[in-house]
Formats: sequence, C-alpha cells, structure tokens
Amino acid sequence: MSNGRVSRPLTAWAFLAPYVVAVALLIALPALLNVGYAFTDHTGLTRDPRFVGLDNARRLLADGFLADSIRASAIHLALAVPLRLLAAIGLGLLLAAPRPGGRWFRVAVYLPTVVPDVALAVLFLWVLNPLYGPLNQLLGLFGHPGMNWLAEPGSARLAVALMLAFPIGEGFIVVLAARRMLDGRLYEAAALEGCGPFGQLRRLTLPLLAPVLLLLAVRDTILTLQVNFVPAYVLTDGRPANATLYLPVYIFDQVFEFSGFAYGAMITSVLMVVTAVIITALLLMVRRWRVLR
Amino acid sequence: MAERGVIRLESLTKSYGKVAALDGVDLAVRAGEMVTLVGPSGSGKSTILRLIAGLDRPDRGRVVVDGQDVAQVPPHRRAVAMVFQDYALYPHLTVRGNLLFGLRVRRVRRAEAEERARTAADRLGIADLLDRYPDETSGGQRQRIALARALLREPTVYLLDEPLASLDAPLRFATRADLLTLHRELGTTTIHVTHDQAEAMTLGDRVVVLDHGRVRQIGPPQQVYDEPADTFVAGFLGSPPMNLVRGGGVLGGGTDLTLGVRPEDLSLDPDGPVAATVEAVEALGSEAILLTRCDEGTRLTVRTDPRPGVWPGDQVRLRADPGRIHRFDADTGRRR
Repeated sequence: MSNGRVSRPLTAWAFLAPYVVAVALLIALPALLNVGYAFTDHTGLTRDPRFVGLDNARRLLADGFLADSIRASAIHLALAVPLRLLAAIGLGLLLAAPRPGGRWFRVAVYLPTVVPDVALAVLFLWVLNPLYGPLNQLLGLFGHPGMNWLAEPGSARLAVALMLAFPIGEGFIVVLAARRMLDGRLYEAAALEGCGPFGQLRRLTLPLLAPVLLLLAVRDTILTLQVNFVPAYVLTDGRPANATLYLPVYIFDQVFEFSGFAYGAMITSVLMVVTAVIITALLLMVRRWRVLR
Repeated sequence: MAERGVIRLESLTKSYGKVAALDGVDLAVRAGEMVTLVGPSGSGKSTILRLIAGLDRPDRGRVVVDGQDVAQVPPHRRAVAMVFQDYALYPHLTVRGNLLFGLRVRRVRRAEAEERARTAADRLGIADLLDRYPDETSGGQRQRIALARALLREPTVYLLDEPLASLDAPLRFATRADLLTLHRELGTTTIHVTHDQAEAMTLGDRVVVLDHGRVRQIGPPQQVYDEPADTFVAGFLGSPPMNLVRGGGVLGGGTDLTLGVRPEDLSLDPDGPVAATVEAVEALGSEAILLTRCDEGTRLTVRTDPRPGVWPGDQVRLRADPGRIHRFDADTGRRR
C-alpha cells in the first residue's frame, strides 16, 4: 500500500514531535543561551546584559572557590560512581537468580529510589547525627567512639557518597534484566569445565555484561556530577571547608545567592566540558580494554 | 577396576516440581557404544543427559560411571563432555577462546593448551576459524566448534543433546556421517539424544525409546523397528508411522488384539483381501504414500513405488504381508 508507506515517516515524526519540541525548547535552546550568557555581565536581575568577552573566563582562572569546587566534584565522582556501580551490580547479580523471598529483597533495593531526594537527605541527617544517629550507635557496638560525620571534610564527603549509594534502582533493574537475559546453558557449559561461581562471574557474567556496565558507568558519571545538589544542600550546604561544594552547588550559589548569572553560566559550560571529557576518556579507555567489539 | 566409559543407570527418577521427568529408568551402556535416546519432547531424554553430566541430581536411583556412583561427584570431576543443543558457545570469546576456556580453567600451561586446541581444531576442520567469533560462523561450523570443545575434555563419555537439530536438512545428512566417523575414530562411549527418527535409526548401536520418563524399548535400531515392543514404539518409529488397527478389523484377528502393519508391508494387489478408497497420494519422488480409507472407516497408509498409477477417489485392493503383521495386546499395547 503506497499510501501507508508515504505516511509512515510523517507518522514517525508526529509521534516524535512532542519530544523533539520539548528537547529543543527546554534543553538545547537554554544550553545554547547559557553559552551565550557566559560571555556577558548578566546578573539575572536586569534585562540588558552587555558582552564582556573573556572577562568571566579570566575570573574562572583566579577563582579559588572554583578550584575547591572542581576538586570536591572530582573526589565525589571517584567515591560515588564506584560505590553506586558496585552496589547496583552486586545486588543486581545477587538477586537475579530466583530464590525464596527474592521479590521482597528486590523491592527493598528499589525503594530508596522512589523516596524524594530531600526526604532521603533529611533521613540521612538523622542517620548521621553524632549524638543519637544509628550509624554512630552501630559503630559503638564495635567499640568505635563514632564520628561527627558532617563536620570533617573527609567524612562529610564520604557521608554524601554513602547517601547516594542507596538510590540505585535504575542501575539495579538494568543489571537484573541484563543478567536474566544471559543464556543459562553457558553457565552449565562453564560448570562442566570446572568453572566455579567466581570463575563464572569473572569469565562469563562480567564480560558478557560489559556493554551494559559501560552504559551504566557513563550514565552514573553524568548523574553523579549533576545530581548531588540536594544532598549537599540539605546535609552540608557545601561545607565543611568547601569539601562538598560540588559544581552544581557552587553554580547555584553564584547564580542565585550572588546574582552572578553570567559567571554561573560560564561555570555551567565548564561542567559540560568536564563531563564530556570524562565520558570520552572512559570510552577511550574501554576501547583499549576491548570489552566492546 | 571397571572399563572406562561404562555407564549404568539404576531406577533413575527425577521430577521438576510436579512434573515427573524420569520414572525409574534402568539402562546399561557398554564401553565404546553409541546409544541413541529417542522419544517425543518431554519424554525425559535430555534429563538423562543432565543427570549423567551432574547438572541435575536424581530424586532416586543411581548414576554409575566407570563403576563409581557419581552422586557426590561435581560435574567437572565426572569424565563427561556435553554438547548442548544450541552449542552454548561463549559469544564474547573467539573460537580459540572457546576452545581454550576449559583448559584455562583447569590451568593447563599456555603452550600446551594452544597446541591441544589447534589439534582439536584441525581434527574437526575448523583451524581457519580460530580467530572468528561464534556469531561469525555458520550453524555447521558452530556444531564443530562445540564438538572440538568437547574433544578437549578428553572424556570417557560424550553426551550429545540433539546435536543436529539446528542444522538444515542437507547439512544434517552430511554431519550425521561425520559424527559416525568421529565416533568410530575415538571409540568413546557416546549417548546421543534426538527426536528425529532418521537420526535414531542411523546413529547408534542401540536405540532407547522413551515415553513419559519410562524406557519403552532398548535394542539395535533395526530390531526395534522390526519388532516394536508396544504400540507406542510402533507408532513412534517409522515415517509414516505403522498402521495400527484396534480389534484387528480389516487385517483380521481377534477383538483382544491391536494389529499393526507398516506402510511398506502393504501393497496394491487386484486380488487383495482389503477394499479401500484412495483419499490422497503423496508423491515424494523416490516413493509415493497413499492415504486410503477402508469401507468400514479404517485408514491405512501404503508406501508404494513412485508412480503407482492411482488417483484420489480410485477404488483399490490392498494386501498385507502376512509375515509382517504385528500383534499387540488391545488393553496393554504390549507385543504378543
């Protein structure tokens, strides 16, 4: 039917249109505008931004807080991404096999993901409380005096990463589904060859899941660089000693606390570039490992 | 010390949930023998292989390999190699990687492992595929890779789970001959599962017919074909299946009997005692199959030469070779 064939691309575009329009208007256009604003003196309060060339870029280089902020983000990335991936992959593989009560464990793992960020952060304020928080009480059982978690730079960084190790539902589901799609006969063949559970994990599961794990790593890197605003804002507000002054927090401070709209736009552009560089490095590294054919 | 490659199954019983897969199977396989397990799907053929390999544990009964009860022996310590129906090749490894997999797990020295993998690949004619990935090879090549991988185990028993099922017809024919040759060269005990009768008849010194988890008959293929132990075996082996007439009917005999006659043992004969109408003629090139219906309703299938000269609607007379009529008990279905 020629009619159907002619209208097929149109139908496709009709279905795509709402998404395309939204992406263009709400993401692509603001991102472009953001780059434009980065070269003005816009404060966010007036309507007449002036072009100032590379002034904001020069300010970046001299900004000690920005250096702290990039360092905080980098350390956070190094802590949170492996922790989150390890949790999602470990729990996903552990709970993929059918076992009694498995459904309830899976629900339990997913549950923190549906809790709003702010609620989870407030919950963690209680968990981390040095006087009556359960974490210190738990440590007390082992004779540890406990810590003032959010008052020390190192432990504050750890605390935020720890909190973000709980909302891992999407990654968990992806690993669960991917593991269940692997052919059980491969494992039987490996068992016949004398390959034990750890051998099977190392020689079959991880290599076979490599493309999925890579996707999760990329996604989590982006997420971790950007979605740390709420915990940092609620738990530490960027302190102590700028240890949790992650880039999103610093950008928010610049734009809305100090009316530095244009400077905030410049830092946002830096964040985008940093993210792109990290993802590219990750992909290059993986290509060298040859996990993807 | 028992001879290598002797397998004894004793009252083997296995259920998966409420489904009984095996119900008291006894079987003794001699060293170097090639035994074919045949039966409809769900008859327990593959379960037997899984129990011998140690992938599943029997609910009751024993698996004895080389004189040793292997109940407590983990799969990789049993001297068995299994070729799975879809071959279970590791998709992320090259053919070389697939062959080396088990050797690496068993920590065979690299040089020796490479050498052995190459020898096995040469033997099965896949040496030029070593650097390809499984999805870059054909069905027949994959089957050879799986066989080479099994070869490297140097087992005393090969377990082949429908090894030809994924191949197209011409390839299956050629591979069947290759499998026989390989078996003759190696002389290793082989248990082979199939639901294909041609395979059951041609591959194997003895055939074991299974139904609903029970052994119906064990014997050399031709003997099982010529003297089926019951109506199930009679109907299962042979294509088209044996004509079975309950109560004897047009074939004569008493009401307490079910009489059977193979299509090739019926012939067109103008003086034959059975009157029938031709309903359909299937010309298969080298032969023709006539589907006929007798006046009282019995349907009889007749195998004739390729150009029988009869057409649907024709009245014909049939004669059964009296020496080739099989008599079964009408109640139990057992041969009399």
